[in-house]
Amino acid sequence: MKKIFLTFFFINIFLSSVSLADDKQAIDIYKKIRCLVCQGQSLHDSNSDFAKDLKKIIKEKLDNKETDQQIYNYLTSRYGDWILLDTPVKQSTLLLWFIPIIVLIVGIIILFKRTVFEKSKLS
Amino acid sequence: MISSFGYYSLLTATLLSLLEIITYIKNYNQKNYVAHQFIFYKFSFYFIIISFILLIISFANSDFSIISVYENSHTAKPLFYKIAATWGNHEGSILLFILVISAYGYCFIISKRKIDNHLKATVVFIQNILLIIFLFFLLFTSNPFEKILPIPNEGLGLNPILQDPLLVIHPPFLYLGYVGFSLIFSLTLAALINNQFNIDWSKLAKNWIFLPWTFLTVGIGLGSFWAYYELGWGGYWFWDPVENASLMPWIAATALIHSVLVMEKTGKLFSWTAILALLTFILSLFGTFLVRSGVLNSVHAFANDPERGLYILIIISLLAFVSLSLFIIKIPKQTNENHFTFLSRENVIVINNYFLIFFLTVVIIGTTYPILLAAIVGKSISVGPQYYNSILAPFVFIFLLLMATGPFMKWKQSAFFYYKNIFISFLLLSVFIVTTLAVLLQQFNPLFLLGILTSCYLIISTFVDIFYKKNFKLIVTNLSRFFSHLGFAILILSITLNYFFSKELTTNIKLGENIAFDQFSIQFKDSKTKNESNYQELFGTFNIKNENMLIELHPSIRKYIQPSQFTSETSIKNNGMSDYYMAMDYSSVQSEGIGIRFYYNYFIRGIWLSFILITLGGCISFYTRRYDNKI
Repeated sequence: MKKIFLTFFFINIFLSSVSLADDKQAIDIYKKIRCLVCQGQSLHDSNSDFAKDLKKIIKEKLDNKETDQQIYNYLTSRYGDWILLDTPVKQSTLLLWFIPIIVLIVGIIILFKRTVFEKSKLS
Repeated sequence: MISSFGYYSLLTATLLSLLEIITYIKNYNQKNYVAHQFIFYKFSFYFIIISFILLIISFANSDFSIISVYENSHTAKPLFYKIAATWGNHEGSILLFILVISAYGYCFIISKRKIDNHLKATVVFIQNILLIIFLFFLLFTSNPFEKILPIPNEGLGLNPILQDPLLVIHPPFLYLGYVGFSLIFSLTLAALINNQFNIDWSKLAKNWIFLPWTFLTVGIGLGSFWAYYELGWGGYWFWDPVENASLMPWIAATALIHSVLVMEKTGKLFSWTAILALLTFILSLFGTFLVRSGVLNSVHAFANDPERGLYILIIISLLAFVSLSLFIIKIPKQTNENHFTFLSRENVIVINNYFLIFFLTVVIIGTTYPILLAAIVGKSISVGPQYYNSILAPFVFIFLLLMATGPFMKWKQSAFFYYKNIFISFLLLSVFIVTTLAVLLQQFNPLFLLGILTSCYLIISTFVDIFYKKNFKLIVTNLSRFFSHLGFAILILSITLNYFFSKELTTNIKLGENIAFDQFSIQFKDSKTKNESNYQELFGTFNIKNENMLIELHPSIRKYIQPSQFTSETSIKNNGMSDYYMAMDYSSVQSEGIGIRFYYNYFIRGIWLSFILITLGGCISFYTRRYDNKI
């Protein structure tokens, strides 16, 4: 689900004008990083000194042609998973991602069992 | 003096509530219970009002002999905010919480509707128990009238971001909403205890759901609007845990509104409705816990204290345990089986209920998972907007289609094929609109197309539902559904448009500098300072050029004197449904110029419009159902 969404998202970014691609890529990353000195703000929403410094670092890494994943890895190795607003799927977040899916499937089964399929009387 | 009187009023109220409970237990087996007209309960309510008014007076007079006034007020504040500070802190807000519980019980007692005496007495009894639990909580952990010695000369001041006209009315609305669900909680438990949980109950219950639901909608809308213009982040919803805390009971109550309808019309979904009714209030309390306990990292988490959080958690567990046990023991065996004819109206509502529960699960998991993980494993993770957006978005679209379909179905029988042609024509019309929009706006993202398609489909169907079904005559009885469903369609439409066409820029700018991006150019023209009673303000003047349009924005930075803190005030001007939005940031390095955040928020006013429409739907619903059906 998340992958599909992200695929759409990145296709969209790719399709949009190429000249802005760099900037959009950076903003996209800023939005997924928590500003650690703020209360619940993303890096993008913040103008704190911490945010400014970290934005600079990310920008430099992008200029060095590092991939998004490399940047995320760098950030988590320094600050831990807390900094990622865009929660990754990994062992510690398995339930976070799968409980909704389980609820979804169990719900469909219950709904299906409770439904009586009969021919429409009005047709 | 006043503070002592306030405290004794609270003690008196507690005593009176206890007396009411004793009277109830004593008279439980007597038929004519209501003879004494709940006189103790009513007087307890009056004393709670008195103590609340006294607290307001203490805040208005800056009576710093009271700790909560000292900690949250300041003489330099305008009177308006001194009064607002009454519920801008933990103690005062819990008193407001109690006032709302008490007021709902009071309204229930004096409501004109004829209600079975025994049921009425039991409802008031349970409401009273809730009241006492929270009165004890207030008196023992958060006495708003607690004194301080020696008396300080000056207060510590209120958090500046709370000094806002909207925040004066936002918390009361929110409380009237989610604390208001206490009555439906009591009503459910009382009906279960008395074996009166039946179709008549569902007719009575409906009103007591619509009222708090409408208040909560207004509360959430105001909160969202406040976050939009006050926080200066350009957004209207951040999936912040505290926002989620208010959304959880709202989703549960929305599901409840619909399941009660199925219960009333078909005599099914008894246990499901009971569970939702109990869950709604439990989730409201859970929200209170999240906000008050300090377990959250949130812009909203002010005034918190782990010890108090523990008490709230104990109260929640207790209420959840007792209500669940009562539910299991007393839920009536149903005469009708819970099976639904495929594509009947109740079936569509049940499917929608299922989606709502799915949304609710996602919000609950997303909010609590990081807290639990940190508590159990000691790992801290963040769950940001991306989690909610990616999981919820695809299902919201299906949800919209069902919302459009339900009203055309018939109760207890499948009528889909009867209306087949109508559905196909809606679909064709929506596809036409989407294609036109996509070509005009040059946007072909599948999520965009789906969002517009489904919301257009719902908008068309709501209009047909209200006008066409009876030969172009307005169907007045469906007006509430018309407004709330239309509102929801416009909400999703606006969110989609806003998501895909908004523009934003965060940068530093020097005086006189001109920055161009996309189709905009931003010029920093001027800056000046101004002194107010409780803050200094630095205004900037910016010229925004969008093709041929010229707009002037005046964002500012405030330096509050007490507490010493900076806030940035946004400047917003609209062009039709879209907003030009700008906020400035305090920068410690002067040579870099000033930090600005500029947002072009496409179609954002549609979101506020949708809140108004949904609220209107709730109001109409409450108004038209006031007197129908007696129990």
